[in-house]
Amino acid sequence: MNTLPQQLANGLLLGSMYGLIAIGYTMVYGIVQLINFAHGEIFMTGAFGAFTVYFYLLPDGTSMAIAVPLMLIGGGIVAILIAVGAERFAYRPLRGAPRLAPLITAIGLSLALQEVVRNFYPHADRAVAFPGLDGTHDIGSVTIKDADIFLVVAAIVCMSALAFFVRKSRTGRAMQATAQDPDTAQLMGIDTNRIIVIAFAIGGFFAAVAAVAYGLKYGSIDYRMGFLMGLKAFTAAVLGGIGNIYGAMLGGLVLGVAETLASAYIDDIPGMHLFGGGSWKDVWAFCLLIIVLLVRPQGLLGERVADRA
Amino acid sequence: MTDTTTRGLIPLPLPAARALLLAGGIATAASAFLAWTWTSEFPGDLTISGYPGGLQWLTFIAGILSTLFALAAYGIRGLSGLIPARNNAPLVLTALGAFGVTWYTIVSIAAELGGLANLEPGGWVAAIASLLPVIGAFALPEPRTASAKENLKAYLAKPDGIPPAQPLSPWLERAIITIATIVGLAVFTYGIDTEYGELFVGFLIVVVFGVWALHTAGLNDRFSRIVARNRSFTLAMGFAAAIAFPFTQSNDHYANIGVNILIFGTVALGLNIVVGLAGLLDLGYVAFLGVGAYTAALVSGSEFSRFSGVHFPFWAAAITGAAASLVFGVLIGAPTLRLRGDYLAIVTLGFGEIFRISVNNMDGQSGPDLTNGPNGIPAIPDLNLLGFNLGQAHDVAGFTLGRFANYYLLMVLIMAIVVLVYTRAADSRIGRSWIAIREDETAATAMGINGFRVKLVAFALGATLAGLAGTVSAHVTYSVVPTPYQFAGSTPPNSAFLLAAVVLGGMGTVAGPILGAALLYLLPEKLVFLQDKSLLAFGIALILLMRFRPEGIIANRRNQLEFHETGQLDIPEQTTLSGEPAAVTKAGA
Repeated sequence: MNTLPQQLANGLLLGSMYGLIAIGYTMVYGIVQLINFAHGEIFMTGAFGAFTVYFYLLPDGTSMAIAVPLMLIGGGIVAILIAVGAERFAYRPLRGAPRLAPLITAIGLSLALQEVVRNFYPHADRAVAFPGLDGTHDIGSVTIKDADIFLVVAAIVCMSALAFFVRKSRTGRAMQATAQDPDTAQLMGIDTNRIIVIAFAIGGFFAAVAAVAYGLKYGSIDYRMGFLMGLKAFTAAVLGGIGNIYGAMLGGLVLGVAETLASAYIDDIPGMHLFGGGSWKDVWAFCLLIIVLLVRPQGLLGERVADRA
Repeated sequence: MTDTTTRGLIPLPLPAARALLLAGGIATAASAFLAWTWTSEFPGDLTISGYPGGLQWLTFIAGILSTLFALAAYGIRGLSGLIPARNNAPLVLTALGAFGVTWYTIVSIAAELGGLANLEPGGWVAAIASLLPVIGAFALPEPRTASAKENLKAYLAKPDGIPPAQPLSPWLERAIITIATIVGLAVFTYGIDTEYGELFVGFLIVVVFGVWALHTAGLNDRFSRIVARNRSFTLAMGFAAAIAFPFTQSNDHYANIGVNILIFGTVALGLNIVVGLAGLLDLGYVAFLGVGAYTAALVSGSEFSRFSGVHFPFWAAAITGAAASLVFGVLIGAPTLRLRGDYLAIVTLGFGEIFRISVNNMDGQSGPDLTNGPNGIPAIPDLNLLGFNLGQAHDVAGFTLGRFANYYLLMVLIMAIVVLVYTRAADSRIGRSWIAIREDETAATAMGINGFRVKLVAFALGATLAGLAGTVSAHVTYSVVPTPYQFAGSTPPNSAFLLAAVVLGGMGTVAGPILGAALLYLLPEKLVFLQDKSLLAFGIALILLMRFRPEGIIANRRNQLEFHETGQLDIPEQTTLSGEPAAVTKAGA
């Protein structure tokens, strides 16, 4: 089981989940230079939205082939509504305020969303059992689950669609223009408010896709799941070069692989035998973030210098 | 009433409105002496005629305040100084305060005992009496506009130009500061000593409306002028009041609340250097407190510590804890502070997680043996300072000071150090560079400020102060465990609590974070139903504060102008040599 190919596959799978969430950070950051701390919580509400569809709306015994697309729609709607609502009512009034203000709002929003789910969603103060896709397949020495196949397909489809959208569509090019220079873009007749809303909505939907994949893979969701995943996804976005959507995906994959390999092999390094295993993997992920900021702050694919004021 | 543009919301002639205010205020105060309910099941025993209990005292005080302002509005000699601004807002606010506390009491009696039948006639009298001044207040003439919102706002507005006060003799000014300090201490002590949630809510209603009334009346402005002229005297009085607090307490439980408020206030003040002065969002601040606490616990001589043989004296432990936090602060700050401020937020959040995971894992099983994992380090011995064991009760001048009172006094000392560091740093060259960096980093760098170095100093200084406070808190709580030192949790001081305290109280001020920490600690402590929802409340409060009052309760004037983009920052503030703002700029700008 614990062979190198298996570890690499695990890392890439985890990484594509990080990458999907990181898209939300990086698109919003690229356009409005705001770290939307609440994005991890949007991911979490997406998971609860999907769970609501499965548990409360669909009849018992619905085949997963029908349930999963409906869960994607349900989770997507919830996540998009919350992301767009946050933009409209919390962030937009603060545009032009000192930098600290939207950051503090984002932290407040993140706390509030977690606590709303914990306090008001039925039984959400504990982990909630999510339907899993547990069928397994062996490819050579690597074992993967059905949920992993869903994750890989979803990530590839989402990324291709996004790349196509940003490059070819009118709105996508308007988005690129807004990211380069919002004021000029506005002078050229682009409705930048609409572009910002679309960026939040796409980020929210991708987070919901990742959330459904998370639920299917791990079989349980809880109100705190967004905090760590959001932090890691942000790390992935920085790693790939924040503002760059391909960078977000690449950063996610690199982070996922690095984290998995670290927890599997770091205890083989002499003197580090006590730092192995899953309990330390988050520490290595954040150490990687600090190292990246030290060595290459613009990220792997970032062209811009990161300290643009 | 020929002038249709200035009239009251409730159509009543002016004399009638004033008479209602005065009579209602007196009647409200008097009604506190009646019996409001028949059973002592409602806390505070409101059943005895002629002797007010619990919430009735608050109604009495609010009624008296309302009466005083009503008399001042009549222009009675000696009382007219109560409303230097000559506006209606203080009358409206005190009337609302009295109404609020009385009706809150009546409604909670009815709700808790199950129905209005539980009210004695006295309760009905109080309810009606407290309604009268409100009617009177809203019948006072105010300029009318088309929008109902503006009409209501006019009743709460504070006019801009308040006529300057006549100069008082220095002795009189100091006497005013002394009296204000004593009143402040009495109010604060009363708030901490409230024994049940209802009383605390009533207390909050009276204090909020009372302070708001004093503010709109222009008394706060006058008082801060006096304070500006007697700065060191005020500071000395403030610390005298802080030291006096444990002597007013017979029960060590309340001294425990006091020491916790001081610890969290001190830490929030340290965070304020980082957030409020330098404008860096540090979301892992509590981890530095944790580093200090764990360091102190390790060298405290506790038998559960990894180094159980090591027993540092307090001064050495404090220095070690502060130094350990300093090292971590520089390690985290150096790579990130070269970049935009946003990265610092996320890296400190990551550092907070690293700290939490590390202390949970370093139990010798899944990591090196250092912190005992989730069990923490218990049995930390009490401090022994100059042969004075802080764990034992001591008799001082006839008062018994318990364990927490001892630590409270030690924390007053630590807080004095932090306040001193804060004010001296803020007024220094480096403090001005922090503010310059906060407001425009590019411009500040162009003026020759080394942004990275200055930010690193702020970040490291904040971390060191947190570490220092952590060394004391480890001893106060007997044991250190990982739970309080995370980003968000149910036990303070988590980073979310500290950030909310700084933002609520007022970024960039000394009193703000302390007030914020006191409020955020007391509210869940006194109101049990809030305990589970406190994080939700913090989150919503942060969003609403940033939207509607980003400068917090106690506003730093520069912050206020920056947040509200009035353009006034462009006009240099004219000051006289004594540091007193000239009255011209206010009216002219």
